[in-house]
Amino acid sequence: MTIRSNWQAKAPAPPLIGLALAFAGVLAAADLPKAETILDKYVEVTGGKAAYAKIHSHVIAGTMEFPAMGLKGKMTIYAAEPGKQYVEMNFEGVGKMQEGSDGEVAWANSAMQGPRIKEGGEKAESLLRAKFNGELNWRNLYKTVETVALETVDGKQCYKVVATPKSGNPRTLWYDQDSNLMVKVSAVTETPQGDIQSDTSVSDYRKEGDLLVPHKMMIKAGPMEIAMTIDSVQVNPEIPMNTFEMPDEVKALLKKP
Amino acid sequence: MSHRTCALVLAIAGATAAAGQTATPAQHSANIQAFEKVWTTVRDKHWDPKLGGLDWQAVHDELRPKMEAAKTADEVREILNDMVERLKQTHFGIFPGSVYHDLDAASDDQEKGSVEATPGIDLRVLEGHAIVTDVDDGSPAAAKGVKRGWEVLRIGKTEIPPLVQRIQEQFKDPTLLDLRLSRGVLSYLQGNAGSTVSVEFLDGADRRVSILLDRRRPRGKTMRLGNLPPEPVWSEWRRLQGDVGYARFNIFLDPEGLAKTMQEAIQGCRDCRGFVLDLRGNPGGLGGLAMGVAGWFTDQSGLQLGTMYMRGLTIKFVIFPRTEPFRGPLAVLVDGCSASTSEILAGGLQDIHRARLFGTRTAAAALGSVIERLPNGDGFQYAIANYISQGGKPLEGIGAIPDKEVRATRRQLLEGKDSALDAAVKWIQKQKP
Repeated sequence: MTIRSNWQAKAPAPPLIGLALAFAGVLAAADLPKAETILDKYVEVTGGKAAYAKIHSHVIAGTMEFPAMGLKGKMTIYAAEPGKQYVEMNFEGVGKMQEGSDGEVAWANSAMQGPRIKEGGEKAESLLRAKFNGELNWRNLYKTVETVALETVDGKQCYKVVATPKSGNPRTLWYDQDSNLMVKVSAVTETPQGDIQSDTSVSDYRKEGDLLVPHKMMIKAGPMEIAMTIDSVQVNPEIPMNTFEMPDEVKALLKKP
Repeated sequence: MSHRTCALVLAIAGATAAAGQTATPAQHSANIQAFEKVWTTVRDKHWDPKLGGLDWQAVHDELRPKMEAAKTADEVREILNDMVERLKQTHFGIFPGSVYHDLDAASDDQEKGSVEATPGIDLRVLEGHAIVTDVDDGSPAAAKGVKRGWEVLRIGKTEIPPLVQRIQEQFKDPTLLDLRLSRGVLSYLQGNAGSTVSVEFLDGADRRVSILLDRRRPRGKTMRLGNLPPEPVWSEWRRLQGDVGYARFNIFLDPEGLAKTMQEAIQGCRDCRGFVLDLRGNPGGLGGLAMGVAGWFTDQSGLQLGTMYMRGLTIKFVIFPRTEPFRGPLAVLVDGCSASTSEILAGGLQDIHRARLFGTRTAAAALGSVIERLPNGDGFQYAIANYISQGGKPLEGIGAIPDKEVRATRRQLLEGKDSALDAAVKWIQKQKP
């Protein structure tokens, strides 16, 4: 499981499933707003370019829950420019799980499965998510973005945008037609354990400093559901740089021939 | 595994103090909600949308009137268990909400819920007899001189041979039979900490001896994982004579504690001729830990133990090699009480030719499952995933079959022998250094 650390959706690697979302009406592509306009407008409605540009690091703390299993844990995401990220999760009975990226190497480590270096599509996906202020700099992340439909998501008319990264799988984003806030993300995430298809509902936008930030995410992947809640957001905190250092056991793997 | 998890895995729901009381209108409503929850959960989350051809709606329509008429908690559980048993699969069951009561009351108590106390004996039913196979060091049973190989004849007022016979007659399917037999007898030994239990044994000289045994908290620390009732957890390793490493743990929980033990074991046995992983009696736990433990025994990336199939999601059980794994010969000990994650690990290591298995066939109960609380407070375990081992066969209903079948006998236990371990060590000694 991986974690998005960008402002737009701090949720475990999204993915998509063709959920039974009722089509409220499909407009001809020519009638739909351009995806570029929608993504730019998202930046605008969540605080504006200037507000994003003032942010160089953040620390997000929250909870992660598997409701059906009664399993709950704490989660902290540290992120800094240009692509540094460290995520720590701690579940009772499972222990600590870590993930990180320094912009070049993406890794994971846990008592459960040990240390590992991410490769291939999984690595590309992790590095993409670690890009700081990805919402503001979306043009650097995606090679194409396209508005493909107008659909109903949770009773709201939403623009459906397919964003294809320069590296990695396309993701589908739904933006509320009225507020232009993103309400859902779908994607297929590559992992060594197979491709994981998931839908992530994004909600509860609240002001944190100068930005609107979603505080609730509900991820569905097959029969599994994961609820994420953000409790606090620190903007531009002092983050000791060793926070982003790889654990020794991960470094040891890098040294292996 | 405690009586509680026994109930959980085997769907042998123990009666609670309130079980015989008539439900209030509010409880009745909660029971109806629980019925619908169980039915819709299976309908919506079972990995096979067709449920193997079972007419699930007909099951609902047949049992719903019975649930409407059910008056006691026992009757409610009987109907719910009847419903899920129609699937004829393991990892489905209802267990009393009372197992959570201690936990809920404990709040921040260090113990985090209580587990059943025990005299410190483990046993297996061998050739129809309940035989002591292990006595915990420092336990009440050890203090009173109970030995491996003794037969348990009576616990309290319960005669054990007839109990064993009844269980054998009730469960003719060998799947889970050893586990049912072992746990069925062990449950009579368990009780409140500080209480005593009178046990009659047949000792090593075939004399009947009655011993009053204290019950103490079981060995290990108590762990909790989500809706899984609290469980005692321990792990240990040692270096056997002949430079063979040996590790065992009672359940696949507490990844951090287990990783510490395995790290020490691998470091302490780096120059060993081989390694023995003892999964006998291990009922499973966190499925992901099968991959994690396997990572201590290979440096080859990309190996896979098997594949788990859920509705809309497939997970490959890929092994991530640890930084400095053990590369020498590996023997895994299994028996009929090795279940679920134990089978996934043992069967997968065998399939990829990384380990040789010694002992007896495993429990044949390996499905991915979760545990939810029902509206009436009871626990509901249900399978959401089928599992196919890397060799291409399911473990459910088949189990992991040892390369070398070795059955324990009472005589060998009395002589201090461990036949499966001895066979594994002998095999390791024959391997090229």
